[in-house]
Amino acid sequence: MNRAASTETVDTLVIGGGIAGLQTALDLADLGLQVAIVEKEPSIGGKMIGLSKVFPTLDCASCITTPKMAATAHHENIRILTLAEVESVTRHDEDFSVRVTLQPRYVDEDLCIGCRLCEYACDADVADEFEGGLSAHRAIYIPFTNAIPQLAILDPMECNLCGQCAVACPTDAVVFDQKPREIEITARSVVVATGFETTPMGAKEEYRGNEIVNVISPLTMERLLAPHGPYGRVLRPADGKVPDSVAFVQCAGSRDRSLGVPYCSRVCCMYAIKQAMLLSGALPFADITIYYMDIRAFGKGYETFFQNASAMGIEFVKGKVARIDEAGDRNVEVRFEHIDELGQVEERTHDLVVLSLGMLPAADLRDRMPISVSSDGFVTVPKPTIEPCRTNEPGIFVAGTAAGPKDIVDAIAEAGAAAMAVSGYLKKREPAGDAVCAVSAGMEIR
Amino acid sequence: MSLRADPTLISEIERFGAADVSACFNCGNCTAICPLSKGETVFPRKVIRYLQLGLTEKLEASPEPWLCYYCGECSETCPREANPGEIMMATRRWLISRYDWTGIARKLYTSKVWEVGLTLAVSLFVVLLFVLFHGPMLTDRVSLNTFAPVKWVEYGDWIMAATLSFFLLTNAWRLRRFVMGDVRAGPSIYLSEISTFLSHAMTQKRWRECDHSRMHWLKHFLLVTGYATMLILIMVLLRWFQTDGWNVTSLFGYYATAVLLYVSADMMIGRLRKRHEIHRHSHPTDWMFLILLFLTSLTGILVHLLRMGGMPVPTYVMYVIHLAVAVPMLVVEVPFGKWAHLLYRPLVIYLVTVKAKAKSTVEATETVPVTT
Repeated sequence: MNRAASTETVDTLVIGGGIAGLQTALDLADLGLQVAIVEKEPSIGGKMIGLSKVFPTLDCASCITTPKMAATAHHENIRILTLAEVESVTRHDEDFSVRVTLQPRYVDEDLCIGCRLCEYACDADVADEFEGGLSAHRAIYIPFTNAIPQLAILDPMECNLCGQCAVACPTDAVVFDQKPREIEITARSVVVATGFETTPMGAKEEYRGNEIVNVISPLTMERLLAPHGPYGRVLRPADGKVPDSVAFVQCAGSRDRSLGVPYCSRVCCMYAIKQAMLLSGALPFADITIYYMDIRAFGKGYETFFQNASAMGIEFVKGKVARIDEAGDRNVEVRFEHIDELGQVEERTHDLVVLSLGMLPAADLRDRMPISVSSDGFVTVPKPTIEPCRTNEPGIFVAGTAAGPKDIVDAIAEAGAAAMAVSGYLKKREPAGDAVCAVSAGMEIR
Repeated sequence: MSLRADPTLISEIERFGAADVSACFNCGNCTAICPLSKGETVFPRKVIRYLQLGLTEKLEASPEPWLCYYCGECSETCPREANPGEIMMATRRWLISRYDWTGIARKLYTSKVWEVGLTLAVSLFVVLLFVLFHGPMLTDRVSLNTFAPVKWVEYGDWIMAATLSFFLLTNAWRLRRFVMGDVRAGPSIYLSEISTFLSHAMTQKRWRECDHSRMHWLKHFLLVTGYATMLILIMVLLRWFQTDGWNVTSLFGYYATAVLLYVSADMMIGRLRKRHEIHRHSHPTDWMFLILLFLTSLTGILVHLLRMGGMPVPTYVMYVIHLAVAVPMLVVEVPFGKWAHLLYRPLVIYLVTVKAKAKSTVEATETVPVTT
């Protein structure tokens, strides 16, 4: 977990420490290959570590993700770089030269022991983005409970420079004058696992997602549903009321050419149904409505999941919501055409509305590496049916939602496939004897 | 009741200017965003559905296309960019051709050759009439009423008005049959709602419910006042209006001309700039109408100016040009073209209220409690 030396050579550089990147790194490291993970956030874990439960099994998300994060961090063949962003990947002969910028943490990673004394000493409160902005952390803080690495980070924009953290720190780890650093890594192969961002809350103007407080993003709803979330229970943000009626607006950021997102994001139907189910558990008396165009429950066990939700009393209403407005008592009014009721235009009021946002690629990779990127920003996969992880550049592979919207099940399967493709590629590159030795040597250590 | 499906209906509507009707995936966003879509009359999706299913008879009987004023919110927010607003517009063009029993409207909308050809033919006919029958051309002073005696022009006006009304009203009768369908309404219901017809015809007040269209409504309303003023001046007051001297009616003429020139020019500029959804898509017939309206107003005021300027021959020539533009505009556009909406829109709103009233009367009589 130490900062990498300014030059080092790895077999594979994995860009992105979300679930796809972690799985790829683990699979490759288990084969004995040397892997470095470059993660731009202060902790690995990606989007999945912030989720409550996952469909269709309703497994606890952090109970699955945390062990994988820990396994990665403790793997002797894996090196993790956090707060690190890839500036460029260029090919030199057979290898790639990767320039990485390390953003300052303002805390010495070698000295910090994650004791949180700095956090307790700090006076400045900052809205906690990990919790959807619904709770606060200090200006110096551990990103979240199960963050890895368990190192404090200081937010210089919010810090009031009182110095109390430095006084409290038992190891003198706080460094106020840290600067960004640039390092160079030589990698024999690269896996792009840069993941996704949700479409912006304000994308569809008529939904007023940035204005109405009780219109929230699905990731915020995940935090409300998580056992260790901001309130520890489901309350609506505007006034802390327990919502009696919750609605999900499907396709709020996908399948919409007017937003420039013509594609289906594949996960929104299922996560909305999952959240609706969890809400029925958390709020047994609440009315829960899902406004949809069509329900796309395509995976194994997904249709049953949908049917179960329907049988549980969650109301599915066919009709795309066209407009959202604030009603009295800070409630939210949605206007839609009730297609199954003779197409009548209806206005209904809910206590809380979730916009089922779609997926956009998180990283703009154009001009940073010699791979081709489609017009929608996702990495181009020339032969998706037979080589799902290959890009058009030999030696650079892709896994997870960097290649296109997909759920966790598919992202993990693809991560394994990417690891297999990388090891095959590296083995072909080496003179036959060496590669086999390298791999078998790694296996023997286990 | 069995329904006949016509698989060619989509391509038929696309000949009237709709771009891609099959792009719609029926999410209902357009209907729910529309500020006018409520109660029994919900659109545009319903209309698009009829098109996709090929339900010609249902579509002919639909009042919905005429209840839309093309604010364009549906097109701006359509997830498929299927342009519901323009599909409604194309459906209105198609409906004009369906109401028209002569088949001329259909030719005009689907063929530029017909549109331009018929306009030119009527134009030449007017010129020919003047070449053959004009009065003496006095060149020492301007005497329009010697060149084209107002009495004869008035007769011509009335003959044309009678002809146009005949076609327009017979088409409107067919519209009534389509929209009312099997519903029977007694004359008392028709009479009791006549104020609905008049108020909508005069003010287009329904349009004002469109959130983003107040300015478009205002300009259109001004245009209507200008047009109505001009209609009265020409049909009723011509013997005063077409004077070789000065008459107070000229003042009204100035108002009408100013409004007609300003608004038609503004609409043409709007269609060129394409800034608002209502102006973004232009069918050739939209241009034809605006150009003729603008030219009629322009030549009209030029006749006046040349006459006041004391230029006899240019006045006479301009007068012939003026009529050679105005007459084809009226003949082509009023019964068979875009201008038919001046009658069809208020008529449909009127019939919708009549129909609802007739239905509720029937229901009320059917549900009278039986007393023993």
